[in-house]
Amino acid sequence: MSIFEYNGAAIVAMAGKNCVAIGSDLRFGVQLQTITTDCPKVFQMNDKLFLGLSGLGTDAQTLHEKLVFRHNLYKLREERSMKPTTFAHLVSSVLYERRFGPYFAGPVIAGLEDNGTPYLCGMDSIGAMETAKDFMVQGTSPESLYGMCESMWREDMEPEELFETLAQCLLSGVDRDALAGWGSVVHVITPDKVITRTIKGRMD
Amino acid sequence: QNRAPARVSVHLSSAMSWSPYTDNGGTVLAVAGEDYCIVAASTRLSSGFDILTRDSSKLLQLSPKVVLASAGMQADMKALQKMLISRHVMYQFNHNKPMSVTAAAQLLSNTLYYKRFFPYYTFNIVAGLDDQGRGAVFSYDAIGSYERSGFFCQGSGKELIQPVLDNQLKAASPLVIPSKSDLTSLPLEQALDLVKAAFVSAGERDIYTGDQVEITIMTKDGTRKDSLQLKLD
Repeated sequence: MSIFEYNGAAIVAMAGKNCVAIGSDLRFGVQLQTITTDCPKVFQMNDKLFLGLSGLGTDAQTLHEKLVFRHNLYKLREERSMKPTTFAHLVSSVLYERRFGPYFAGPVIAGLEDNGTPYLCGMDSIGAMETAKDFMVQGTSPESLYGMCESMWREDMEPEELFETLAQCLLSGVDRDALAGWGSVVHVITPDKVITRTIKGRMD
Repeated sequence: QNRAPARVSVHLSSAMSWSPYTDNGGTVLAVAGEDYCIVAASTRLSSGFDILTRDSSKLLQLSPKVVLASAGMQADMKALQKMLISRHVMYQFNHNKPMSVTAAAQLLSNTLYYKRFFPYYTFNIVAGLDDQGRGAVFSYDAIGSYERSGFFCQGSGKELIQPVLDNQLKAASPLVIPSKSDLTSLPLEQALDLVKAAFVSAGERDIYTGDQVEITIMTKDGTRKDSLQLKLD
């Protein structure tokens, strides 16, 4: 069993018309035992930037804490929040510092640029970045999530439709994954607000 | 004191050795409706990163109402098809009628389990119309464990496509009253559009799925064929 499949996770991020959405499942388990069902894997970094972390739970947690620390330091020095591209490059850099003893995490970054353009980025555990204009997935069954997103994503979706699409992709994607599920949380980020919804799916 | 040197046997457990199996890639899927059955298969044949051919068939029409679709190793697929054709000829001779889809399903399960300790490297779907004229889809593992369902996919793109089919065709819950049967209530043309859309999506993300999709549609009026062009990359 791979170290990336020890805890289980599913993260999907999608871009719409001047909005992005990012969601994750809620299961926290140790191999086949489920421990809690209220563990989201998506964290808010600033009012228009979210970070999702799949992979080994302890590494995701540590990375999150380190990145909050770095972001706070940045805010103190620069007196402004980090832009999404800057943050993504920071994450990549932090991961590559540990090139030969990596954090076993798979990040997904979703945010809005200053002019409202969506920004989506995913990486592997050593910081290789890939930006996308449609969607990004990470987790224990990426093929299920890729298949759903590839079939359902369309260009220029409004926030409400983007939420519905992402929710369906997550819900149906995790139903074929034993290590992810037990409900989902989805955040939709628009230039003026962030709407967070928790969804009940198959609770198994 | 001279002692004989200790002999240490070193077993290179990571040494490459010859394997009787190879994966030629490709995806197959089938959807059962109230009075129709759709079976589709990609036509690309691969070996590693090479494409061997862009138009090989994975479908075998055993009888007007029974189709076998196989993904996996083409050599074992051909051997399996030959075996089943031979058994079907004998069945028709003995019973004076073609095999029903349920009979063919059981025959395939037994044939696969016969080679339990040196399996056919094939991931099969048997599909057709049952004796009441309703769609039937049976899905197998390599050694013959099978289950009837309303829809299934196998092969290299199965993880990509299965959740899409679950989302569009599966009942919301098994506890819904009245109980929904496994068969989809979608009309034929909509189910066909879903099958084609699923293959286009799989073709984007799976390197072994592409070129063309061969589709067989069985209804009470007979069997017709359709095809879909996919990306060649």
